[in-house]
Amino acid sequence: MRRKRIKKSKWIFLLGMLIAFLLIFLGNKAVVKTSTDEYCNSCHVHPHSTQSWKRSTHYDNPRGIQVHCVDCHLPPHGEGYLLEKAKTGIRDVWANTFKDSASFNWEEKSQIDYAKGHAFEISCIYCHQNNYPLGLTKEGREAHLYYEQQAGELHCINCHITVGHYDPDRLHEKNIGFGNIETADAEVFTEAGEVDGFNDFTEQIVGSAISFDMVAIPGGTFRMGSPESEPFRFADEGPVKEVKVDPFFMAKTEVSWNEYLAFFKQTGAQGKTADAYLNVVNDDVDAISGPTPPWGAPDQGWGKESMPAITMTHHAAEVYCQWLTKITGKKYRLPTEAEWEYAARGGSETPYFFEGDPKRYVKQGLRNKLFGVDTTGINSYIAYMENSGARSTPPDLRMENPFGLVNMLGNVAEFCSDLYAEDTYATYGDGVVSNPTGPGEGEEHVIRGGSFRDGADRVRSAARDYTRTEAWLKTDPQMPKSIWWYSDCLHVGFRVVCEYDKTITE
Amino acid sequence: MGTTNKSSRRRFLGNTAAIGAIGVVGASQLIRSCSSDSETSTITVTEPTILGTAIDGQPLRAGVIGCGGRGSGAALDFLNAGPNLSVVAIADVFQDRIDGIRGKLKEEKGVELEDANCFVGFDAFKRLLEVDLDYVILATPPYFRPEHFQACVEARKHVFMEKPVAVDPVGARAIMAASKQAEAAGLCVITGTQRRHSWNYQNVYARVKAGMMGDIVATNVYWNQNKLWHREKQPSWTEMEFMLRDWVNWTWLSGDHIVEQHVHNIDVSNWFVGTHPLEAVGMGSRLRRPTGDCYDNFAVDFVYDKSVHMNSMCRQINDCATSVSETIRGTKGYTNGEEFIWDADGNVLYQWESPLNAEGEKIQNSPYVQEHIDLVTAIREGKQIVEAEETAKSVLTAIMGRESAYTGKKVTWEDMMGSDMVLGPKGELTMGPVDIKAVIPIAGSAPE
Repeated sequence: MRRKRIKKSKWIFLLGMLIAFLLIFLGNKAVVKTSTDEYCNSCHVHPHSTQSWKRSTHYDNPRGIQVHCVDCHLPPHGEGYLLEKAKTGIRDVWANTFKDSASFNWEEKSQIDYAKGHAFEISCIYCHQNNYPLGLTKEGREAHLYYEQQAGELHCINCHITVGHYDPDRLHEKNIGFGNIETADAEVFTEAGEVDGFNDFTEQIVGSAISFDMVAIPGGTFRMGSPESEPFRFADEGPVKEVKVDPFFMAKTEVSWNEYLAFFKQTGAQGKTADAYLNVVNDDVDAISGPTPPWGAPDQGWGKESMPAITMTHHAAEVYCQWLTKITGKKYRLPTEAEWEYAARGGSETPYFFEGDPKRYVKQGLRNKLFGVDTTGINSYIAYMENSGARSTPPDLRMENPFGLVNMLGNVAEFCSDLYAEDTYATYGDGVVSNPTGPGEGEEHVIRGGSFRDGADRVRSAARDYTRTEAWLKTDPQMPKSIWWYSDCLHVGFRVVCEYDKTITE
Repeated sequence: MGTTNKSSRRRFLGNTAAIGAIGVVGASQLIRSCSSDSETSTITVTEPTILGTAIDGQPLRAGVIGCGGRGSGAALDFLNAGPNLSVVAIADVFQDRIDGIRGKLKEEKGVELEDANCFVGFDAFKRLLEVDLDYVILATPPYFRPEHFQACVEARKHVFMEKPVAVDPVGARAIMAASKQAEAAGLCVITGTQRRHSWNYQNVYARVKAGMMGDIVATNVYWNQNKLWHREKQPSWTEMEFMLRDWVNWTWLSGDHIVEQHVHNIDVSNWFVGTHPLEAVGMGSRLRRPTGDCYDNFAVDFVYDKSVHMNSMCRQINDCATSVSETIRGTKGYTNGEEFIWDADGNVLYQWESPLNAEGEKIQNSPYVQEHIDLVTAIREGKQIVEAEETAKSVLTAIMGRESAYTGKKVTWEDMMGSDMVLGPKGELTMGPVDIKAVIPIAGSAPE
């Protein structure tokens, strides 16, 4: 009896061993099987991922080395490989079973911040152990030195985003040819646009074939900011103040690439990388020196022409206005924050200039999550997160506001001339405030209107935001960083205002 | 204070006389005054490796780029460092410098150089690097160093180069990156910061690192001396020739004397503190310098992390108080770096004494030769040493002080790591006019 039991337990033991062996063997088989490129590509449906990988240096290189999906998209063996594999596996199976791949926003997922979560720096470093190989260019040496100075803040793909999946629009290199678009046969303006009293007019950029519309915004008094009862309101939107604004002209649309590249072509390229604080003398203070060539493709490959110009710095936008002033003989500048909000509201005191409840347009709350966001009202006026596909849009897709301005809310966020302070409105006195210009002190400038990246809560007329200079220049490899182009900000642009010269009509 | 020396490894390679000195060195360790009995602590000193001569091994063929006083000196120091060492190629922008070093090498060491291996001109360094060499000595004015060092690293040469290694932030960062390349390529580099190779400093440093005087809280560093040399412009000289021959007086060539000379002391402070300062506020002026555009006095307050200050002064003016020294103060005592460590009350905790030879005489250690002894030995033993990045950081520290004095502004390390300042004329250099205006910087603004 006892013998039998021993014998039985022996069999159970052997069976257990066999099962364990089989499990390990099969498990290992499964891990190997599910780590092949073919297996990954059997479900991974994002457009062109295989083609772009095969065009990249991690597949197509003179050494004949092929780097596989799991080499970059999972950590190395022994560094959490299996755990991460299990996590991504579960997530992928879930998504493949229950989600419609057509609904995925690949544009957004390919942005650096998202991509960082799916390309493991530890895996880059596992193979690339020497940041300073002989033959590395001067720029490369400087950039790697910078990377090491910024320990932990930069991921390899901040600069090398295209090495695994090739994308000609995102190469991290100085884009000398940027903006060199031939405008053959186009008639070139020899005179600036004419202003006939306080009426809308068309500005003409002298020396180019580009013109743009300016809208006469009558002066008036409005309530600036939002009441505490407004949904999604932030404290910096109050207290509400009565503000008086003098008449001015404002561009109907955000400054387009056509307009900005006219500036770039006329002033750019020779612009210095100014070393502002040391004994470097600017010999030529009268000439406006414009932007240096950008790094990468500022338009992100989304298109130029009438698309809003993006990624220029606040400084560059200001120099653009100086240049426009010089060549047109009018007085162009960025709008003050008060002018901007007055123009955006167009007489309305509601969250948007049209009727609509922000709560209905955001992906928040149980109802919206379950039944989807109802965007019918907002779609005709605002390019924002739920309808933009995570990129900027051309101006002719949206309807005008009461003043006749397009894309004041959404599309790209717009620079104002004011510096930002959270308590700006509180510092304004009681009664009607006349033509306020902001706090006069501060580090960052106001941006308004929200952008294609924002939810409906952030594209309200009263919503305020500000530039993040340091973060927006994080991966600029130049020393010092560019004063002309943000390397890490895609959603900001601007529109110009022209001061109204009363002597014309009086 | 019961300071015990638990150190283990002491190596003293060299000639018989030097070997004979070991016992005496050992004895010198006992001359330690142990006065304070209030506190008992034990420190572990890692004794520095001290070599009287380079070990023998593979023959090393050297080339010299920059054959003025320092280049000629460094060539001889190299030949005096040990066996199987030869100088086979030279390069300079001036023929008379080439003739000078050839004469000196022949006279002092019987070395005759082939004509084909003597190169003249601004691109002479490129042609020199095509000669079969193992070891390159860089001793031109520091303006040229970043370009020359990069070329040496790309050509896979071991390098001895004189301080300072750059005159501007871009140059200093280029050295940092090239230093990392040299490390990855298995090269050895020593950089003319001879205090780091002096037996006395090394022994004091070992004890300070072991904690003999506690944590470092402040340093004072000085290079106040009489006027340095200058050259008067000769009628037959072009502007470029004049500037090159008068180079210590021109900021674009020397980096100014805080960088060119005082970097030695600043480097000692960085070495002992273990890092570089984060910011500097300095002042300075030009009172009596006869040529060029450099200042002749600086005083700079550098601040390291945790508010540890380095007070720095340098001056090159006759008939003023002089001092070339460092004082490094810790929580439990202080040192002059070169000989003594005292406790907080001024009692001697440690005193360096030179080892004696068989005849009972002190062995004279030349730190200039010692640098080559250490470099040659590192190459032959395969124990890599690359000092360029450390030195570049000390040079950038000095540049930070200079820029603060020139502008009157506080200048930070971050400013330096992000600055695009490049000194020197634009375009290719030629022996003609130089597009540099001798503008002496004046800080601040005049009252209205």
